[in-house]
Amino acid sequence: MKKISTVCPYCGCGCGLYVHVEKDIITGVSPVRNHPVNKGSLCVKGWNCFEFVQHPGRLKYPLIKKDGVFKKSSWDEALDWTAENLLKVKEKFGPDSIGMLSSAKCTNEENFLMMKFSRAVVGTNNIDHCARLCHSSTVGGLAKAFGSGAMTNSIDEIDSSRVLFVIGSNTTEQHPMIGMHMLDAVDRGATLIVADPRKTQIAEFAKIHLRHRCGTDVALLNGMMNVIINEGLVDLDFVRRRTENFDDFEKIVMRYPLDIAEKITGVPAVDIRRVARIYATEKRSMLFYSMGITQHITGVDNVRSCANLVMLTAHIGLPMTGLNPLRGQNNVQGACDMGALPDVYSGYQKVTDKKARKKFESAWGAKLPSVPGRTLTEMFDAAGGEIRAMYIMGENPVISDPDASHVTEAIKKLDFLVVQDIFMSDTAELASVVLPAVTFAEKDGTFTNTERRVQKLKKAIRPVCGAMPDWRIISELSKRMGYEMEYGATHEIMEEAALLTPSYGGILHHRLNNFGLQWPCPGIDHSGTTFMHRKAFTKGMGSFIPIDFVPPAEPVDGDYPFILTTGRISFHYHTGTMCRRTSTLEREEPDCFVEINPADAESLGIKTHDRLSVSSRRGEIVVNASVTDRTPEGIVFIPFHFREAAVNLITNPALDPTAKIPEYKVCAVNIAPVVPKPDEEGKFFSRRENR
Amino acid sequence: MKDEFVLSKTNLPYWLRQLRKKADLIGPLRSLNGDIIFSSIVNIHEMILDCPASIPSPKEFLFPQKEEMYKFSQKGVNTLNDNGKRIIFGVRSCDISAIALLDRFYGGLLEDDFYMSRRRNTCFISIACNNPDPTCFCSGLGTGPALKTGFDLQFTDLGDRYLVQAGSREGLRMINGFMHLFLLPEKADRDDQYEVLLSSQSIFEKRITLENVRQKILAGKVPDSFWESVASRCFECGGCVYECPLCTCFNVIDWKEKDNKGTRMRLWDTCMFKGFTKMAGNVLPAGKKIMRTKRWYFHKLLYYPEQFGRFGCVGCGRCTITCPGRIDIATIANKLD
Amino acid sequence: MKNKNKKGLYLPVDAKINDVIDLTPDVKLYKLRKPQSFFYSPGQFVMASIWGAGEVPISITSTSEIHQDIELCIRKAGFVTSALHRLNPGDSIGIRGPLGNRFPFEDAYGKDVLFIAGGIGIAPLRSLINLVIEKRKNFGKIALIYGSKTPTEVLFMPETQNWKENGIDLTLTIDVECKEWECSFGLVTEHINRQSISFESGYAFICGPHVMINAAMHDLSLLGMPAENIITTIEAHMKCGVGKCGHCYSDGRYVCTDGPVFSYAEIREFGMASP
Repeated sequence: MKKISTVCPYCGCGCGLYVHVEKDIITGVSPVRNHPVNKGSLCVKGWNCFEFVQHPGRLKYPLIKKDGVFKKSSWDEALDWTAENLLKVKEKFGPDSIGMLSSAKCTNEENFLMMKFSRAVVGTNNIDHCARLCHSSTVGGLAKAFGSGAMTNSIDEIDSSRVLFVIGSNTTEQHPMIGMHMLDAVDRGATLIVADPRKTQIAEFAKIHLRHRCGTDVALLNGMMNVIINEGLVDLDFVRRRTENFDDFEKIVMRYPLDIAEKITGVPAVDIRRVARIYATEKRSMLFYSMGITQHITGVDNVRSCANLVMLTAHIGLPMTGLNPLRGQNNVQGACDMGALPDVYSGYQKVTDKKARKKFESAWGAKLPSVPGRTLTEMFDAAGGEIRAMYIMGENPVISDPDASHVTEAIKKLDFLVVQDIFMSDTAELASVVLPAVTFAEKDGTFTNTERRVQKLKKAIRPVCGAMPDWRIISELSKRMGYEMEYGATHEIMEEAALLTPSYGGILHHRLNNFGLQWPCPGIDHSGTTFMHRKAFTKGMGSFIPIDFVPPAEPVDGDYPFILTTGRISFHYHTGTMCRRTSTLEREEPDCFVEINPADAESLGIKTHDRLSVSSRRGEIVVNASVTDRTPEGIVFIPFHFREAAVNLITNPALDPTAKIPEYKVCAVNIAPVVPKPDEEGKFFSRRENR
Repeated sequence: MKDEFVLSKTNLPYWLRQLRKKADLIGPLRSLNGDIIFSSIVNIHEMILDCPASIPSPKEFLFPQKEEMYKFSQKGVNTLNDNGKRIIFGVRSCDISAIALLDRFYGGLLEDDFYMSRRRNTCFISIACNNPDPTCFCSGLGTGPALKTGFDLQFTDLGDRYLVQAGSREGLRMINGFMHLFLLPEKADRDDQYEVLLSSQSIFEKRITLENVRQKILAGKVPDSFWESVASRCFECGGCVYECPLCTCFNVIDWKEKDNKGTRMRLWDTCMFKGFTKMAGNVLPAGKKIMRTKRWYFHKLLYYPEQFGRFGCVGCGRCTITCPGRIDIATIANKLD
Repeated sequence: MKNKNKKGLYLPVDAKINDVIDLTPDVKLYKLRKPQSFFYSPGQFVMASIWGAGEVPISITSTSEIHQDIELCIRKAGFVTSALHRLNPGDSIGIRGPLGNRFPFEDAYGKDVLFIAGGIGIAPLRSLINLVIEKRKNFGKIALIYGSKTPTEVLFMPETQNWKENGIDLTLTIDVECKEWECSFGLVTEHINRQSISFESGYAFICGPHVMINAAMHDLSLLGMPAENIITTIEAHMKCGVGKCGHCYSDGRYVCTDGPVFSYAEIREFGMASP
C-alpha cells in the first residue's frame, strides 16, 4: 500500500489529495490535511476522482479512421500517419490552416509543449483552449486594468476577510473548498454578499442576496460605484497614487443613479445602496466572481467593472483584499500562463512583441509567426475554409461549445482531425486519428490552481496499457515532423518554461514539494507571491475603464419568453468525460434537468419530473423538469454536462467582441411539455402510480 | 498480569523488522507536506512513533474505498479475497474500538467474507494516546485514550521504552519468539504508565457526552428546524462517511470489458447522497437533505446503541477535520448539549 | 437465515432459465431451475444478478409447495432489469437467497384473510395466495383486491380465475373506466370497505406502490383491523440483500434482513416512512 500525494483533477481549487495504490490498482483517495486550500476536506468529485482512471472504457491503443471506421493501430503507425497528414495540410494550405486546441486538463508542461509545437513546429499562432469559454474575458479584461489576469489573493486568506462579495459564482457547488473558506469567514463574523439570479447554496448564507436579472452586472456594479462616489466613499489617495483615467470613468458611472440601476437590474435601490456601503467601508473586502460575470457578450466589460470597483475602494494590493476570479478547470490558469492562447507566449508575452518573439525564436531555433492566431470559436467558424486540420488535446468542444451542432458541422468539414484524449469523447468520435493519453494519476507534471499555486502532480500508477502521456505524444509527433524535442522527463520542460517565462522564473519541480509556489516567482530564491499588486500594479498604474451597460444579445420575446442560463452542478464536471464514468456521481444526477420557478411551472402546468422541450432559435432539447424557487421567475437553468441533452445545442454563440467568449449565461428559450412516447411509459410507471 | 511487558525503544526496530518478514508492515509516516499517512514501511526508522492522528481511518485496510470482489469471464467467476498478511503499527485506541465494532457488524451469522479474510490476516499494534488532538473526544466515550480490552497489542510510550500489553492470542503470537526483547514490567513502569495516561486525559479540549444528546433527541427536544439548519450547511461531499471509522455502507458496481469479461467491485457509499436510496423509476425516498442528515446522526446516536449497545462514534474527530460545512458530530453535539 | 453458501456471502449461484413468459409488454415471468437446498417461503426474495450488469432484489412469486421452479416476475424498470429482459430460456441468472423474512401466515390460521395488490405488487402475494389455497381449510374467508392501471397490465389473469374457483372473493379493478373491461373500476382503496371479511379479527397482506400501501394500511386500521394484523412487504434500493451495504436501512431497521415483510405496527413504531 502506497499513498502518493498529488492534485485533484477536477476544479481550479487544486486540492491536495493522496492516491492510494495497492499492486498498481488505485484503491482510494484521501485529502491532504495540511493543504492550504482543502485542509483535510474534499468535495464529492475529489473523493471519487480515482474511479475513472482504471475504467475499462479507457482508450488503450491509437485508432485510425479508415473508410469511416476506427481501426486499431500501433503507436508508430498512428504517429507517422498523423505527422504525414499534418505536414501535407501545412504544405498545401500553409501553417495557418492548422488549428490547435490545448487543454486546461493537461499539465503546464504539456501546454507549454503544445504551444511550442504549434508555434515552432507547425508555425502557427492558431492555438487556444477552453479558457476562451470561461475566463478569456478575465485574462483580457484584467490585463487592461491591472496588467495581470489572475486571482490577486490566496484562498486561505478568505477565512480572515471581513466582507465577501460574490458575484456570478455558485461557489459551494463549483469551488466547494473555496466555499468552505467562505463559510468559515462568515462563521467568524464576515459579511457575505451574493449577487446571483439563482438562490444558490452560498446565497443562503448571504446577509444580502441581490437577484439581478441575467446579464445586467454592469448596471449593478455601476449603480454601486455611483453610490460610492456620491457618498464620498472613494479612496481618493489610492485613486490618485495608483490609478489613471478616473475622470472619464466617473462621467459614465454618473449616468447610473440608483433608480436607473434598479430599473435595469430589478434589484431594489436600497439593497444596492446597502451593498455599496458595506463593501466600500469595510477594509478587508474580497470580491469573487466566476462564469456569471465572464460568459456574456459583455464579459470583458463585466470584468473591468469589477476591477473599477476594487480600485475605487482601494480593495487591492493587500492580504485579504482583492479581486478574485475563480478559475474553473484544474489547470486553466496554467494553460493560460503557458501561452496556450493565440496572442501570447507563456507568461502573457505578446507574440506581436518583437523582443519576446526574438527570445523564443532563439531558444527554439525556429522562425515564429508574428500575427496573433485564431481563437477557439473563430477556428470552428473557419473550419473547412481557412482551417483545414485541427489537433485537439483533451477537450470536447462538441459538447462544451455554444451552438454545438454548428461545431459538429464545422469539424466534419475538416480534412484532418487529431484528437488526443483518455476516453472516446463525442469529439473523438469525429476524429481521423485518436491518440490515447493518460490521466492525472499516471503522469508527472504541474497544475496551476486558481490562486496561481503551481503544484506538483505525481505519477501514482503505470499508464494503462498502451496509453502515453500527452507530453510524450507531442514530442514524438514533433520528432516525426522534423523538429527534435528531447525531453527525458517533465521537469526538463518546466525548466525550459521557467527560463522563458518571467513570472515562472523560479518555478522548478524540485522547489514545489511543499504545496508548490504561487507565481509571480521570478527567480530561484523567490518564495512566491501570496497576494498581487502590492505597492504597484503589474502594469504600473491601474486603469479605470469607463463601461456602459449593454443588454444581452438575445432578449426574450413572445416566441421565446424565458431566459435560459447554464451552469454546473456539484456532482458533475463539464462535459462529463470523467465524472459520468464515476458510478457515485452518475447515480446522483443521471439525467439532465431544467430548473424552473414554481410560478412559471404553475402557469405552464408543469410538475417536477415532467418531460419538457426547451427550444431556442438554434435547436431543441428534451429534459426533465425540476420545479424549484432556486431559479427566479422568467429564468430557467440547465446544467451543461449531459451529452444526451446537450444544452449547448440551444445556447447563443454571440461573442464578446474582444475576448470572443460566448454568451452562455443568457439566451431566450421557449418551454413546452412533451408527451412521453409509448416506449418511455414504463420508465415513469412507478412514479405515476404514486399519486 | 502475565501478558504485560516492557520493550526498550532501542529494540523496537529490530522486532518490527523481524515481524515484517512475514507480513506487510504498515505504519505512520510523515509525508513531504507534513501529513501523517499510513502506508507500507520501507525504512523502519522513518516511522512516526508518537501515535499521530491520521486521515483516513485504518478501516481502509479492512474495507478499502474500492475493493474488487469478483472477476468474471465466459469461463467462470473468480473470488478475489485479499489474503495478504498485514501488521499495522501505531493505530490509535479510538480506531481499535471502531474495528471491534466493525468486526461485530461484518462478522456474525452473515459473515462478510471479503472483510473477514482481510481481518483474519491483519494484526493491529495500537498505541495509547499521549497527545490527543484538539478535535479528539474519545475520553467521553470510553474508546480511548487507552483501552482495557479489545486490542491485539497495546503500547504505551514511557519515554525510553514502551509498556506492551497483549490483549489477544494474535498479540501474544507476535511477541512469542522474541521474549529476549520483552522484559517483565516493574512497579516503576506501571507508575509511569499511569502518569502518561493521566496527563493524556488532561490534554483533551473537547468534553462531549453523546448520551445527553441521545436523551434530548429521544425526548423530542430537537426540532426539525435545527436539523434544517444543519442540512443547509451540508456540501454533500460524503467526507463524514468516508472518514468515519465506523461507516460501513457500500455500493456494488460491475465493470464490463470486452468478451463478457469484467469485474464486480464495491465502493464506499454515502447515505448523504440522495441517490443512495433511489429506487426504480427515479423515486427518491430521501430526496431532501434534512432527511439524510438526520438519518446519519440518528443512526450513530440512536440506532447504534440499540443494535450494539454503543454509540456509532468513537470520538476520533475525523469528521470535525473533514467536514467543509462544519456540521460534524462534535459540533452538533456541542450545540445540542 | 444462516449463511449456507460457504463460498461467500455475495457470490450468486447460477440458475438456468427453464421458461420465460411475457405477462405484459414490460413484465416477464422467469421460471428458474431450483438450485440444490434452496428452501423458501412466501414473502422472501432473491438477489438476481447478471455479471456485467449488476444485482437487483426480486421477490419470489412461486410457492415451493406447488411449483417445481423458482418463479420471478420482473418488470423492466432499470439497467439490470432491462438486461434480465434480454435473457432467454437456456440462459442463466445468478441468484442469491432466499433472503429476508416471510409472511407470518400461520398467525392468520382460522381467521379471515384479505389480500390487496396493486400492479406488480401481486408478485410476492401470489406466492402466499397459492399457499393459502393449498391450505384452504386453515383459513376463514379469503378475499383479494387486485388493482391495475389498465386492462393490459393485469398480471396472471388466468390464474386469478383459478383463485376465484378455489373460493377467493376476487375484486379485479382498474384505475380508470374503459370499455373492454368487465370487472370493477377505481383505486383498490375504494373497494376495501365492500369486503365481507371480519376486519376486527382478520389479517391483511398488502403489496403495491408505496402510496397505495400507505393508503390501504391507513384505511384498514380505520376499519378496525389491529395494526399487527396489517402486513405488507416493502420495496427498497438494495445492493447486498444481507444487511451490509446499508442502502435499505431506515430508522434502525434493514429492509433486507429485518423485512421485507413488516406489519403496520412495526412500520409505525420505527417510522419507516414510505416516500
